[in-house]
Amino acid sequence: MSTLETEPRSRGLGERIRSDPEPATVWAGACLLLLSVQFGAVFQTVRALFPGGAVGSYVPAFVGAPVAAAGEFVGSLPTLLTRDVIPNQGYRLPGQGWQETFLGLEPAVAWLVRVALIYVYSLAWLALLWWGYRIFRSEYRAADWTPMDDKVARFRSHYWGISGVVVVFFFVVMAVFAPAMGPTTVERNIQEPFSYEVSYFDEEAGSVATETVGTANFESGSSGTPEENVGPLSYDDYGRFHPIGTLPKGNDMFTFMAAGARISLSIALLSIGISVLIGVGLAVFTAYYKGLSDLVAVIASDSVQAIPQLLLLILLASLLRGTWLGSLYNGAAVLTIIFAATNWPYLWRAIRGPALQIAENEWIDASRSFGQRPRRIMQKHMVPYVTGYMLIYASLSIGGIIISVAGLSYLGLGISAPTPEWGRAVRMGQDYVTTASWHISLIPGVMIVLLVTAFNAFGDGVRDALDPQAETEEDAEIATAGGSGA
Amino acid sequence: MASTQSEPLLAVENLRTAFHTDKETVYAVDGIDLEIQRGETVGIVGESGSGKSVTARSIMNLIEPPGHIHEESSIRFEGRELTTLDESEYQQLRGGKIAMVFQDPLTSLNPVYTVGNQIKESLRLHRGLRGSEATEAAIELLEDVGIPDAPRRVGDYPHQFSGGMQQRAVIAMTLACDPDLLICDEPTTALDVTIQAQILELLDDLQRERDLAIMFITHDMGVIAEVSDRVNVMYAGEVVETAPVVDLFENPAHPYTRGLLRSIPGNQTDTDRLETIQGDVPVPNEPATDCRFADRCPAAFEDCRAVHPSPIAVGSDGQDHTAACLLYPESASRSEAVGLHRDGIDSDGGRDV
Amino acid sequence: MSRLKYLGKRLLLSIPVVLFGTSITFVLLRMGPIDPAAAILGGQQTQGGNYEQVRQQLGLHRPLWEQYIDFMVDLFTLKLGQSWVIAQGTPVSELLAQYAPRTLWLGFWSVIVALVIGIPLGFYAGLNPNSWSDYFASFGGIVWRAMPNFWLAVIMVSLISQSQKFGFDWQNWVVSTQVVTPPSLNNLTDPMEFLAALKMVLPAALVLGSASMGNEMRIGRTAVLETKNANYVEVAKAKGAPGRLIVWKHVFRNALIPLIPIISGEAFLLIGGSVLVETVFAINGLGYLFFQAAVNGDLPLVGSLMFVFIVLLVSVNILQDVLYTLVDPRVGYEGEGQ
Repeated sequence: MSTLETEPRSRGLGERIRSDPEPATVWAGACLLLLSVQFGAVFQTVRALFPGGAVGSYVPAFVGAPVAAAGEFVGSLPTLLTRDVIPNQGYRLPGQGWQETFLGLEPAVAWLVRVALIYVYSLAWLALLWWGYRIFRSEYRAADWTPMDDKVARFRSHYWGISGVVVVFFFVVMAVFAPAMGPTTVERNIQEPFSYEVSYFDEEAGSVATETVGTANFESGSSGTPEENVGPLSYDDYGRFHPIGTLPKGNDMFTFMAAGARISLSIALLSIGISVLIGVGLAVFTAYYKGLSDLVAVIASDSVQAIPQLLLLILLASLLRGTWLGSLYNGAAVLTIIFAATNWPYLWRAIRGPALQIAENEWIDASRSFGQRPRRIMQKHMVPYVTGYMLIYASLSIGGIIISVAGLSYLGLGISAPTPEWGRAVRMGQDYVTTASWHISLIPGVMIVLLVTAFNAFGDGVRDALDPQAETEEDAEIATAGGSGA
Repeated sequence: MASTQSEPLLAVENLRTAFHTDKETVYAVDGIDLEIQRGETVGIVGESGSGKSVTARSIMNLIEPPGHIHEESSIRFEGRELTTLDESEYQQLRGGKIAMVFQDPLTSLNPVYTVGNQIKESLRLHRGLRGSEATEAAIELLEDVGIPDAPRRVGDYPHQFSGGMQQRAVIAMTLACDPDLLICDEPTTALDVTIQAQILELLDDLQRERDLAIMFITHDMGVIAEVSDRVNVMYAGEVVETAPVVDLFENPAHPYTRGLLRSIPGNQTDTDRLETIQGDVPVPNEPATDCRFADRCPAAFEDCRAVHPSPIAVGSDGQDHTAACLLYPESASRSEAVGLHRDGIDSDGGRDV
Repeated sequence: MSRLKYLGKRLLLSIPVVLFGTSITFVLLRMGPIDPAAAILGGQQTQGGNYEQVRQQLGLHRPLWEQYIDFMVDLFTLKLGQSWVIAQGTPVSELLAQYAPRTLWLGFWSVIVALVIGIPLGFYAGLNPNSWSDYFASFGGIVWRAMPNFWLAVIMVSLISQSQKFGFDWQNWVVSTQVVTPPSLNNLTDPMEFLAALKMVLPAALVLGSASMGNEMRIGRTAVLETKNANYVEVAKAKGAPGRLIVWKHVFRNALIPLIPIISGEAFLLIGGSVLVETVFAINGLGYLFFQAAVNGDLPLVGSLMFVFIVLLVSVNILQDVLYTLVDPRVGYEGEGQ
């Protein structure tokens, strides 16, 4: 946000906050409150991000051990929104209701309660952030009004864009809270099912029995015929609730999809982030210096674009499959790098126009004439202008990445088993589309369509908010057509 | 230049064109009367938003929904009532007897077809010419409008012409079928001043050669002075003054006209500040119940905001000069004059003095 | 600058692009972890007499830059080598001749389907805004953009093979064909054979073309809307041109201009998307071949195919430029007008 410098910037942000600390402290207090509820989970997630195996072996023991221990402790702090506090797995004794579930509620309801709470919590965070923005704007910002305010206002009244944000929010929450959201966890149900047990009421024996999750799964698969099918919103023979049914091998599909959301969104957002950095940096650089750098960039980007992206993905994925890079995050790292490396040409091209436009502006020459260093010029004048446009094209490209990742997984080349991914579910359910097990193939597809459309809607909203009368490239339309052709 | 007794070429009576949107209704043209005789140039002058372009388009029936020409309006061309024509009859008229030149010549021409192609389109539509006949006629027309090397240029694309040449080509297109009336909507506004002079000269020549009547719309008083025989001054959808051009400039009656003339930089006597008319043209979104110029008028008095002025004859007899202002007729007292306007006397324009 | 010069400039620029693209391919292939010799021998052996022999045969013992030169020269003189793994010993050109026609057939019909359905719908929606067809076009465009075509393919295959359930026997409709099998393109002049081949590829073409179709609908609609409000359209009306003339002559030709990159953008989608669709529909085309080659480490096949695809893509780009120069006389004139 650029501020209008009509008066000398005598007071920095810190000073301003200090002179009127009340609103800020109230806000910070609320943040802390919300955070405290989920301390344990936050730290656990942070810990899980590090590929422990690769890094851990390089850290000397006397440093590594205490850190690990501290991590364990923090990770075991109670967290509200977990399966421990609101369990949804139990069994029903005849005449006595459900045991071991939250408040004795039916597993379905207990699960719903937890999911609802998760969303309420996330909405609370969203409200908090918005409130913080309003406080900043009214109390602490130097300028009364900036052009950004108009843009925000326009976006807020753009119903299509807002609907996109809502759907994306829905999926992001699903991804972030995936371990807590599913009726069970990936580890229990998908990765190591034979190391865990489930208690259920055995009707024949008339008593409570336990069984390994693996065997239970074996008997709960959906393979097309009505007898061998656990469809959406139903319980299996072991008293477990499946919001969207089970996969052919019996794994709970919701857990699968939520974890898949995590992977898809992580890859998409991370790789786009990298591409954006490359694209903006390159655009600003070539627009400022022009000439040779521009020519080289054009040839480089055209060459990369000349290679069909999906084919390149297939090639690289196959090549790197057996290597250490390919096993990082089960193939996710490779995909992220490849997408970042192949998407920047499009993004750079898309904002090249605006970047050149602004480089032509006279105030660039003016800055240069009084000795402003190139890097500062680029930073201060060009980047803010270009960033808005970049947001449009980036959000329109994200959909393509999500579809491509799913496509690759469908072919078996993307994320390798047993890590969940939406495309693999489509493959698994391929033969059952017209049968009772239609949910396996159809639901992932629908989710992809929803998520991609939501990102596109968001991009449309941003574009209209930035400049309602702009003629944006029709390349933007091409980008949204499922990206590389998956 | 005084009105003759014969039927005018174009007689517009009580033309009302309104745009009905969800938010409001804009009475873009709110009951105007106009006349154009054969072979004369009638100027329509006014600021943006005065309704001049809508008037032109109403005459050509180029108004699209939510725009709508009121039933009470009458447009008579060569004695024929146009408002009752259906679309196909109007199509025969457009480009044939009545033609129109628009403001921006570059966008008036379709960029993907040659200039010759577009001229021949008119020729085919109205005169049934095809093939080499049409091409010859097109070349002739280009020469008539003063485009050099016409036989080669007829195969060129619009973007290969300069701005002035483009406008000439557009004029050639309109002349293809020898119209009787040429409506020009700000034809020189988008051009350089020197080119502007050339185009005006061209129009003048064409008028003499072909006995062409011209309706010339502009906001530029200087251009009006040069081309018109008679002038209509429009404000907020109404004609506030009508006069022969010399009389208008020598004896402007309506305060608005006076303000316009005073604000021409060349007319300024006080060299410190440029005189302007304060304020903006209002959007006429209600039927007229008062004088729409009252808020900006230096001579306004109380009744101006209560009584709608009708056109009243002013000046000496025989000059055919009317103004819609409560200050007139000068000979009458203030209250008498207001009474006249209020009762709607001379509602048909008060022309025949 | 005349249109021809503009075209020439574009052609010239595409040469380094092809060079770079192919070089990148080479780097990936040779620097990648897959050992070509080991791949041929089909095992993990990296020692022994056999292995060394194979390495010698393939020229892998020579310095890398020499291999690079060989690679590039071979490709550009169209010596595409032989397949090592999938069909050992078969020249790539033979494989191309075998697999390419099916992909071309599929691609051709995809483009046609998208054009024939997408553009008219888009134009109709633009001419009649806010009508049912307008909403359908907008909505369809939006949703189709988001649909993964492999998913659509899966659904399509299921629907068709089980079409009896819905009261419609696809397999025996008009001509008797199987669903999941490559179309036989041997005797296209015979009408029955032609119909059979067409029918076999139509669902796949529909799926493959659907993304482009959505795009064309949406862009076509926008293009028509903008053109409709252009000044020259009003001028044409003022000339007394009847509605049909205005629409067919003035609006459409100008509305086509922004559609050109879409149509050529289709080619990009085709080249990539064909892999998935061909796999699902079991049409043994180039995409499918590429996939098999990549997964099995058949490097020369992969390299040559990639080269073919790159050339194809670049050619499509050039085609797009050619189309532009044909349709829009202003091309190359940016900034010049006098």
